[in-house]
Amino acid sequence: MFALPALVVYIAFLIYPALSSLFFSLTNWDGLSATYKFVGLENYVKLPSDPVVVEAVRNNLIWTVVTIAVPTVIGLALAIALNGKVHGKPILRLIFYTPAVLPLVSIASIWGWLYNPQYGAINSFLRLIGLDGLAQPWLGQDSTALWAVMVPAIWLRTGFPMLLYLAALQGIPNELYEAATVDGATRWQQFWHVTMPSLRPAHYIVLALSLIDSFKVFDMIYAMTYGGPGTSTQVMGTWMYFNVFQYYQAGYGTAIAVVITLVAIAVGIPYVRSQTREAS
Amino acid sequence: MTIAPVRVESAVPVEAQPATQQPKGRKGLVITLVLAVAAIFWISPLALLVITAVRPLSDFIGNGPLSWPDAFTWSNFKDAWGIGNFATTYRNSALLALMKVPLGVLISAMLGFALAKLRMKFRRTVMFTVFLGLTIPIYIAIVPVFIMMRQAGATDSLFGLIGPYLAFGIPFEVLVLQSFFRQIPDEIIEAAKVDGAGDWRVFFTMILPLSLPALVTVAILDAVATWNEFLFALILLNSDAHKTIPVGLLNFQGQFANNNTGLAAGILIAVVPILIAYTLLQRWIVGGLTAGATKG
Repeated sequence: MFALPALVVYIAFLIYPALSSLFFSLTNWDGLSATYKFVGLENYVKLPSDPVVVEAVRNNLIWTVVTIAVPTVIGLALAIALNGKVHGKPILRLIFYTPAVLPLVSIASIWGWLYNPQYGAINSFLRLIGLDGLAQPWLGQDSTALWAVMVPAIWLRTGFPMLLYLAALQGIPNELYEAATVDGATRWQQFWHVTMPSLRPAHYIVLALSLIDSFKVFDMIYAMTYGGPGTSTQVMGTWMYFNVFQYYQAGYGTAIAVVITLVAIAVGIPYVRSQTREAS
Repeated sequence: MTIAPVRVESAVPVEAQPATQQPKGRKGLVITLVLAVAAIFWISPLALLVITAVRPLSDFIGNGPLSWPDAFTWSNFKDAWGIGNFATTYRNSALLALMKVPLGVLISAMLGFALAKLRMKFRRTVMFTVFLGLTIPIYIAIVPVFIMMRQAGATDSLFGLIGPYLAFGIPFEVLVLQSFFRQIPDEIIEAAKVDGAGDWRVFFTMILPLSLPALVTVAILDAVATWNEFLFALILLNSDAHKTIPVGLLNFQGQFANNNTGLAAGILIAVVPILIAYTLLQRWIVGGLTAGATKG
C-alpha cells in the first residue's frame, strides 16, 4: 500500500520507458511514421563506423576524467584549507558552492557570455594584461571548444566534493593527528597517512556520484555549443538527441542512449549495491 | 555509509577539529587571504554579471566588460523581463515545483517508510531497483516518454512533466528518507501499535513529524532540481506560454546575443530566486548533500 504510488510512477515513467527504448533501438523507426521494421542489432553494428559516435565517445571519456579529477582535487584542497582556522568560513563555503545550485542552462549562458570573442570578459582580461595573442573564439574553434565547456563544468562541480570532504575532515578524531605528531610525522606524512586514509569513505562517494553524474552530460553542451563547431563537442547524450529530433533516426538514436546507459549502470552498480546492503 | 541528513555545523562538536589545523593567528591569516582571493576569482563571473546588468549598453561597449560603470540603469531588467517572457516562465516553473515537490516527497516518504519499517515482499529487490534509478540518464527515457505524452495528449503541458519528474526524483528521495526512517527506534512504533494505531497513523503522526529535517532537506533539493530541469522540458514543451525558466532562458539567450547588458539582466532574473533560496536555506542543502560523508 505504502510502496504502491511511488512504484507505479517509477515503473511507468522510468523503468517502462527505459525498456521500451531498448525495444526501439532494435528497429529502424524514424520517430514519426506509424510503422517501423525490426532490424535486430543493426543500429548497434553501425555505431563504431559512425565517426561522430567515435568523437562523442572520446569526448565523453575526456569529460569524465577531467570533470571528475579537477573538481575533486580542487575541492579537497579547498576543504583542507577551510578546515583550518580561517576567518569567514561560512561565507567562503557559500561562495564556492554557489555555482552548483544554478540551472545548467544559466551557467551555459553566463560562460557563453564570458567567452564572447569581442565583448567577453575573458578575452578582455587577456588583452588587459597584454596577452592579446591568446584572445580567441574559445567556443568557436575545434581546438578549444570542448575545454572551454569543461571549465564551467569544473566551476560548478567543485562545490560538492568540497562540502563532502569538509564534513568528512571534521569527523577525523584529533587523537590521530596528536599521535602522528608524537611519532614525529611531518605535515605531509600526516596528510598521506592520516588524512587520506580517513577520507576513504568520502573518496568513494565523491567518485561514485561524480561518475554517475558525468555520464548524464547533456544540458551544458546543448546550451553552450549545440555540439559544435562541426561535431567537435558532441557527446553521446547530445548525439542521441540530434539523431532522434533532428535527423529522424529514433531507432539509431535510442541505440546510442542504450549504450551509454548500460555503461552508466555498470559503473554505478557497485554504489547501488553498497547502498542496498547498507539498508538491509 | 549511512545516508542520514546531518547538519554539518550543528552535528559536529567544536572540539572535533583536527590537531593539525591549529596554526597561529598569522598562518590562519595567510590561508584566509589565499582563500579570499580564490573566492573573489570564483564569484567573479556572477559579480561581472551583476555589474553588467545595471549599466547602459553604450557604457558597456564603450568602456569594456571589465571597467567600472560610468552610469547605472534599471532599464536592462525591464527590457529583459518583457522580451524574455519571464512573467510566464516564472509562473510555470513555480507552479510545476508547487505541484511536483510535495507530491514527490510524500510518495517517496511512503515508499521509504515501507522499505525501512514494514514487512515487505521482495524488499531488497525493490530497493535495488529503485536505487538503480540514480544511475539512469534521462535521455534513455525521452523517446518513449515523448510518445506516451503525445498519445495522452499531454505534450506541451506542465502536467505532462509531473510524471517523469516524479519518477526521476524518486531514487534520491527514497534513498535519503528510508535511511532516516530506519534510525527511528522500532520501540516507539511498537508502542503506538499496542495502543491501536494503524500503519497510516504511525506514518502521519510519528514518522513524518520526527523526520521533519530530512523531509525539508529533500524537498529543498528536489525543488532546486525541478526548477533547473532542462531536457524533459525541452522536448515536451513547445509553446512559449508553457515554457519553464531553463527553456525560456535558452530562447532568450538567442534573441539577446548582441545585447550584452540585456542578456546579463535576463540571466540574473532567471537565477536570482535560486540564489536567494540557496543563501537562506544553505544549511539544509549542505546537510543533505554531505549526509553520509562522515561515517564509514
